[in-house]
Amino acid sequence: MPARKHAKKIYEHFNKIVADPVLQIKRLKKTGSFRIIGWVPTDVPEELIHAAGALPIGIVALERQAVSLSTPHMQVWSCSLMRCALGMALEGSFDLLNGLIIPVICDTTRMVTGIWKQVKPYAFMDNFLLPKQVDRPSAKDYLIGEMGRLKARLEQFMDRTITASELCASIRLYNHNRSVMRKLFSLHTEHPELLSNRNMYNIIKSSMLMPKELHTNMIAELWRELEKKVDDNKSAGKKCHVRLLLSGKVWEPPVIMDIFDGLDIVSAGDDFCTGYRYIANDVPETGEPLRALAERQFNRLPIAAFAGKSGDRAKSIIKMVEETHAHGVLFVHLKYCEPENFDYPMLRDDLSAYGIPNCRIETEIDSLPGENYFEQIKAFIDSIGGVV
Amino acid sequence: MVVSPSFKTTSLFKQMMAEYHERGVAAKEKGIPVAWVTATFPVEIIYAAGLFPYYPENFGARIAAKKVADRISAAAEEKGYFPDLCAYARCGIGNAFSVERPAGEVLKPDVVFCSNAQCGSLQKWFEAAGRYYQVPFFLIDTPLIENTPTTLIKRYIVEQLHELLDFLELYTGNTFNFSRLAEVISLSNEACRLWNEILNMAALKPAPFGYFDACYHLAPIVAWRGTKWAVDYYKELKKELEERLDNNVYVISDERYKLYFDHIPVWPRLRWFSNLLMERKALAVASQYTHSWAWRFDLNRPLESLVKNYTEVFINRGYEYRLQQKIILMKEFKVDGFILFSNRSCKPKALGLYDKYQIISDRTGLPGVIFEADMSDERYFDEEYIKKLFAEFFDRLEHNSN
Repeated sequence: MPARKHAKKIYEHFNKIVADPVLQIKRLKKTGSFRIIGWVPTDVPEELIHAAGALPIGIVALERQAVSLSTPHMQVWSCSLMRCALGMALEGSFDLLNGLIIPVICDTTRMVTGIWKQVKPYAFMDNFLLPKQVDRPSAKDYLIGEMGRLKARLEQFMDRTITASELCASIRLYNHNRSVMRKLFSLHTEHPELLSNRNMYNIIKSSMLMPKELHTNMIAELWRELEKKVDDNKSAGKKCHVRLLLSGKVWEPPVIMDIFDGLDIVSAGDDFCTGYRYIANDVPETGEPLRALAERQFNRLPIAAFAGKSGDRAKSIIKMVEETHAHGVLFVHLKYCEPENFDYPMLRDDLSAYGIPNCRIETEIDSLPGENYFEQIKAFIDSIGGVV
Repeated sequence: MVVSPSFKTTSLFKQMMAEYHERGVAAKEKGIPVAWVTATFPVEIIYAAGLFPYYPENFGARIAAKKVADRISAAAEEKGYFPDLCAYARCGIGNAFSVERPAGEVLKPDVVFCSNAQCGSLQKWFEAAGRYYQVPFFLIDTPLIENTPTTLIKRYIVEQLHELLDFLELYTGNTFNFSRLAEVISLSNEACRLWNEILNMAALKPAPFGYFDACYHLAPIVAWRGTKWAVDYYKELKKELEERLDNNVYVISDERYKLYFDHIPVWPRLRWFSNLLMERKALAVASQYTHSWAWRFDLNRPLESLVKNYTEVFINRGYEYRLQQKIILMKEFKVDGFILFSNRSCKPKALGLYDKYQIISDRTGLPGVIFEADMSDERYFDEEYIKKLFAEFFDRLEHNSN
């Protein structure tokens, strides 16, 4: 089979998983008798769920029609990400889940667990309580303790002990998956004509919706195909792309990726919970595994949920812009996402003071396809000189 | 009039609030650092360290009560802060950019202390303030207590208090004074005890004091807790209320209904709401909001006790606990109905209320009403819609009592 055609088939596989998460969960259930535990973005240690013998599934592929189903239970002025997740649960999309972990990263996630437990309880539900200050020693001690608490609850639910060697094996599995995705991401930023924004981000998202072993194998297959194409493309003239760094909570709605692809814009990186940030760093493979999981948490790209000097987001974004040679930054903010709203004015001013062009678009999960995003993004790239 | 301007202590309140601000200005001039704190921050430690604590949340309430929140918020909105954010935060940030001073100045901070027990908005607002004013920002991170407080969380916060003491010693250059802390905690205890006794007077029928009065007289327990000022103020208020009882002076002499109000009031409509209720001889008598400051500290274990009180505050509790606490207050105050306020500015208070409305109705059999608005910003206040909701509610209340 010609390489491009084969790659296309692999992309289609990933895309199908993301396009129909409910069908994906059904498919997974059919493949074995394991339990599936869902997690809401972000920063839930999936390795712990995996080591407990359950399959972690991210609540990351969304069906925009479900947003309104949550209206009797959640105010319409809460973020559409959580409203959609709850709406999908109410619709029965997650009925095959055995459990759900919700991290408290903002006021909406803090409150939604109580509502969820009331209107759609699962056998196992947990609030993962991440520390919000990340600079002082107390945060690390606490997070290790919180990881231990979650581990104990999972052990009780799964009726088994998670051994250190099992957890280390899960860590290695997840690290490997992240590392192969980073390799792909690097290829995407250099050769977006081979690996588009939509395909790259669907690969990341699909990794949250399927067994990592399988996902890693599929990436290996894809990599072999793409390598051949890279060699073929070397002689051909490369199309110029605008390189943008993205910042926000999630890459939603996905139509924005298509707009990028249509306008020859390449995402050079991001701090999205469902994007590059998910794969950016690994868990240390030495030392006590719970401590190692906590270590990774403190080394992750800073986001609005966490406060502190080490979480200085402006510095982090500026560094990423420099490292990725991005031409500008596009903030993709969900309406009613308070942490992002609070961070934005100073981030914008810091970037502008540094001479980095930037622009903000406000989105909702249930935005109409295309909405005004095309015009806004087009105007932004025109303002920074268009395709270079 | 339900919010009683005729209280003698009202003029005392105004006088003391003005003096409080002057004290802050004087402290700053003398080189005493002004420390911004949040309402559920262990302020006793800040007093004991010799700093001048200042509550920007009170400023937010003052701006709102003066009905100018939208104007001050506009200054923040022009800078890119969005009208969906907490209005206290918008006004606090707006004040930094606004040239208008319709409710006075905010004291600029030399250091910013925040507890996120109440919400994440405070964390983000105070973090932004730290950056804007270029002063240190210290967060006491308070994880949600979903059911019972765990040793893990208690240990985490005690550890953070030790970090706070280290920070303060470095910041002030002085060894932390635990004897002074004990004095401050004693004063907090006394003010909280008095405040609780005052709140309990609303349980009498007819009552000399109601929830809207409590909202008016709340500032001292928030801002001066830990000082003799707060103790003196509430002694005066309690004395006056006792005199009123002796003289049979009540908020509504022919009080018919007692109501539970959850949670914070709509500040620019305090009087409007109290009048709306009074027309039907109804008095709001209890709320988790006003009861939040009914703390008791243990002098033998000061740090642990501060942790217990400030961490286990109802706003930092899980769904079922908060629900039960509401119902307990409803029973204690023998209410005839309940009002739930879905406050756009406050997700930790508003989210979950839709289902809680039904659960409270089912568990208590009481009639209730839930309305949408913002605690500060009248742009989100739809008077006709609220009047209609309340008219229906009062009809059900009346029907129920018959």
